[in-house]
Amino acid sequence: MRFVFKRFTFRVFLYVAALLIAVWVLAPYAWLIISSISTKIDLLNVPLKWIPSRPTLENYRSLFADGQSALSQGMSFFSRSMLNSIIVTFSSMGICMFFGVFTAYAVARLTFPGRKFYLMMLMGSYMMPPIAIVIPGYIILKSLHLLDSRIGLALVNITFILPLVVWIMRGFFLSIPLELEEAARIDGSSRLGALLRIILPLSVPGLVSAGVFCFIASWNEYFYAFLYTSMRARTLPVLIGEFTTKVGTDYLKMAAAGVVASAPPVLLALIFQRFLVRGLTEGAVKG
Amino acid sequence: MKHRFLFSLVFLLACASLFAQESITVIFPKHEADLSGAFASRVKEFEASSQIKVNLIQMGWDDVNNKLTAEMASGGSAYDVVEFDNGNVAAWLGAGWVEPLDSYMPKGYTNGMIPGLVDLFTGGDGKLYGIVWNNDTRFFFYNAGMLKKAGIANPPRTWDELVSQSKTLMSKGLARYGMAGFWKAEWALANDFHFYAYTYGGKIVDKHGNILFNTDPNTLAAAQEMVKMLKEGVVDPASLTYDQEAVNNIFLKGDVAFLSQGIPGIMSYAQDPARSKVIGQVKVGLVPGGKVGTSAALTLPEAYAIPKGSTNKANAWKFIEFMTSRETNKKLAQQIGILPIWSGQYTDSDLVKLYPYWADFSKQMASAKGLAVLTWYNNFVDVCIPETQKMLSGKLTPKDALNEMAGLLKDYAGKP
Amino acid sequence: MAIRLFNPLTMDEPRKLGITLVMPSLIIVFGFLLFPFLYSFVLSLMNYDLARPRGNGFIGLGNYIHLTQDMYFLNSVVVTLVFSFCSVILEIILGVAIALVMNQDFKGRGILRALIIIPWALPSIVNASMWSWILNANYGALNALLSQLGILHGYRPWIADPSWAMVLIILTNVWKETPFTVIMVLAALQGIPTHLREAAVMDGAGAVRRFIHVVLPMIAQIVMICALLQVIWSLLHTFELVYVITRGGPFNSTDIIPMRIYWQTFKGLRFGYGAAMAYLAAIALLIPAVFYIRSAYKTTVE
Repeated sequence: MRFVFKRFTFRVFLYVAALLIAVWVLAPYAWLIISSISTKIDLLNVPLKWIPSRPTLENYRSLFADGQSALSQGMSFFSRSMLNSIIVTFSSMGICMFFGVFTAYAVARLTFPGRKFYLMMLMGSYMMPPIAIVIPGYIILKSLHLLDSRIGLALVNITFILPLVVWIMRGFFLSIPLELEEAARIDGSSRLGALLRIILPLSVPGLVSAGVFCFIASWNEYFYAFLYTSMRARTLPVLIGEFTTKVGTDYLKMAAAGVVASAPPVLLALIFQRFLVRGLTEGAVKG
Repeated sequence: MKHRFLFSLVFLLACASLFAQESITVIFPKHEADLSGAFASRVKEFEASSQIKVNLIQMGWDDVNNKLTAEMASGGSAYDVVEFDNGNVAAWLGAGWVEPLDSYMPKGYTNGMIPGLVDLFTGGDGKLYGIVWNNDTRFFFYNAGMLKKAGIANPPRTWDELVSQSKTLMSKGLARYGMAGFWKAEWALANDFHFYAYTYGGKIVDKHGNILFNTDPNTLAAAQEMVKMLKEGVVDPASLTYDQEAVNNIFLKGDVAFLSQGIPGIMSYAQDPARSKVIGQVKVGLVPGGKVGTSAALTLPEAYAIPKGSTNKANAWKFIEFMTSRETNKKLAQQIGILPIWSGQYTDSDLVKLYPYWADFSKQMASAKGLAVLTWYNNFVDVCIPETQKMLSGKLTPKDALNEMAGLLKDYAGKP
Repeated sequence: MAIRLFNPLTMDEPRKLGITLVMPSLIIVFGFLLFPFLYSFVLSLMNYDLARPRGNGFIGLGNYIHLTQDMYFLNSVVVTLVFSFCSVILEIILGVAIALVMNQDFKGRGILRALIIIPWALPSIVNASMWSWILNANYGALNALLSQLGILHGYRPWIADPSWAMVLIILTNVWKETPFTVIMVLAALQGIPTHLREAAVMDGAGAVRRFIHVVLPMIAQIVMICALLQVIWSLLHTFELVYVITRGGPFNSTDIIPMRIYWQTFKGLRFGYGAAMAYLAAIALLIPAVFYIRSAYKTTVE
């Protein structure tokens, strides 16, 4: 009897905890969504009405409104920057995953001179505050004529995402039993062959989790993107950051833009959450 | 024969294409009142009339400044016309980043321009480095409806009068506070510091960069008044978290009676039901001073300038000339209510009909002053912000705060 | 012939293959980063003041010495350490706790696991603006909520108070960053072989003892990695949060080092001084922090 009682309280506690967690995570986000369908005068109300009295989609509409303006060529700034974000994110993801996987394999399985040094450099590349190296980076991109280009931005993203991919995939590879790979090599396969035929298929969850982290890191990156792009190659976070004037921030427009901009990463996470967890399982434990 | 003809045709076309479409790159902030793309439309007009293609880059004020820092520091060749903010004049001239415009301007070009705006962008060598596109002078607004209900006949002429009027309004429940200040830890706080000092006739620095603010009794009086207004509950205590937008919101919501430094556009915002609860009640007054008659206003203009690294300076000038011409000024004024830079426009019949309160603005503009001109202005702001906040929250007395500020800036003092 | 010599697909010698595979990444990452690192380093040894170029020149350790006497810099070091320390501790504790909850079997577990990523998935600009508005003194949702629940009588300007500003900055950072830790710890928890846990249950070990002796060692590695990353991120990579919500105020109580560097470099145009600040912060803060965490990990594992 005591045992059943204990189990019952435990389960109650569990559901309460889960509920609290859900509220903690969702409450501010829900407020963001509510703000995005409010008018300014609604938000300034005291006492605050949690459901806006005059809900409006005007904020969303205004995001796409300047498609006909004098400056854009048919596509609204918002759509263009969404497109830029997609191109930059997927291209940097592709390159990071490709090179990252091979590098991670090398660091996990092979001994070669300088391996420790390389790992240290990997860690070291994160050590400088980005704010201190943006301007020299600007000079480099300027001399390569890569300013305000999606290629330039993708390149910059790769420099800070690639180490992350190597990190995650290395841990994951380390957890795959050596015997599997050796069995393949005894059968005559080369090292890389074993990688491609045995290890990678087993690591699909890990690849997916690295991919999602890549995506979020690149999609949300702001500071480099802001400084290195202008009207042509601007990504979503940069555009959102520009809803400011000399005197303040256009919060409503930013809320609407924020909801739209956060939708792809959230949706992606929702779709792949199973893989995410299982993937990091193997990857992280032996890291 | 046929080949030679073809060849010369191709050659001619090539030459023509080389000369046909010149282009320039222009960067300046989006004006806060420019919700409809009025500036962009003017740019398109310029493109049509001059055959020069313009790559226009517009973003927030902060963002433009950050971007320009990176670009100008690496040569400044990416842009042909840049935003030149009044706060950056001394530093950019010191760094040698912008081109004097005298060789491009026709003689007497600036006759008829508001003199203060020309002075602010003239270097120590007497040459002009920027033409103003945003005459951002700030004015004093008050809620006339509230004052009438309280039986107050005229807006305050001194800060002390403002304090007593506010207390009346607050005790009658007509306003939550007299005023709110944009005292968040941002750039604009230093503006407010200048503003109050100027209304007392106080000095900040002299033209050699010597620090005067901690020895000038007028500046001290101004600082003490700021603290007094907060202590007596006349100024919203949450002001330490407000930026300018927040202060505008509070005024437009009818929570406070006075707005000491409002952008010109406040009048039109006040009539917009999506933003304002004080429709028809807002009026323009003269900025109160330390004593009756010492009114002063702050002007924070932004100009167009040409970077030294530009390769299209002649075309850049054409752009500047077009965008700051009397015609363009008038069009922009009609469309979005920006303040013109040409004195004559304030009596232009069309504009006066649209903006009858401009007469009040003109009265104020004669006493408009700019921020201190220093190459180290940003460092001044860096120190002014926390010290002023300490003073306002009572951690330091005004005298100590000013002295501490002077102490922290002693490495820069004496340099212009 | 050349293809045969250099065909990764058939290369088997670990040393050659290793270097071949690692090279591209090295070139990509450091090809771009080497110049900025060197440039900043050289600048840090110079007086490089763009607004007053006549005084520019090599001054050796002059900037670094000046930094040790710079009241605002020293303040920002303290502020950053407090921010980082509190943030990371909270993130780790909350992260592990939440992961433990989510590791249990209950209805809706899958959805919760998906929702937890929302804070981390929001662009930092949006996150910062959202919190800025929630914390607004006059109209913010926090004030509204607390007063409607009767906890507060009248609205409070939360971020006007230096201590509250710091607390709130820490809390908003924790809100954003904890999901990362949750997900990684959750994965590690799922890697614990169930037979180990069942064995402990059968031995009669209580939940707490089970946690300390079975669970903790297996996730210690991951917790260490999370802590390391969070420390690096919170010490030197957090910028937008403070920039948007408090701008370093009130009176420099939330003036973290990246804000300081931003102000000196972008506003003050003192590139040399700003670069020195960055290097000093990296050397003086980051490296000890990393060593400390690694040694803490080693001692807990033993």
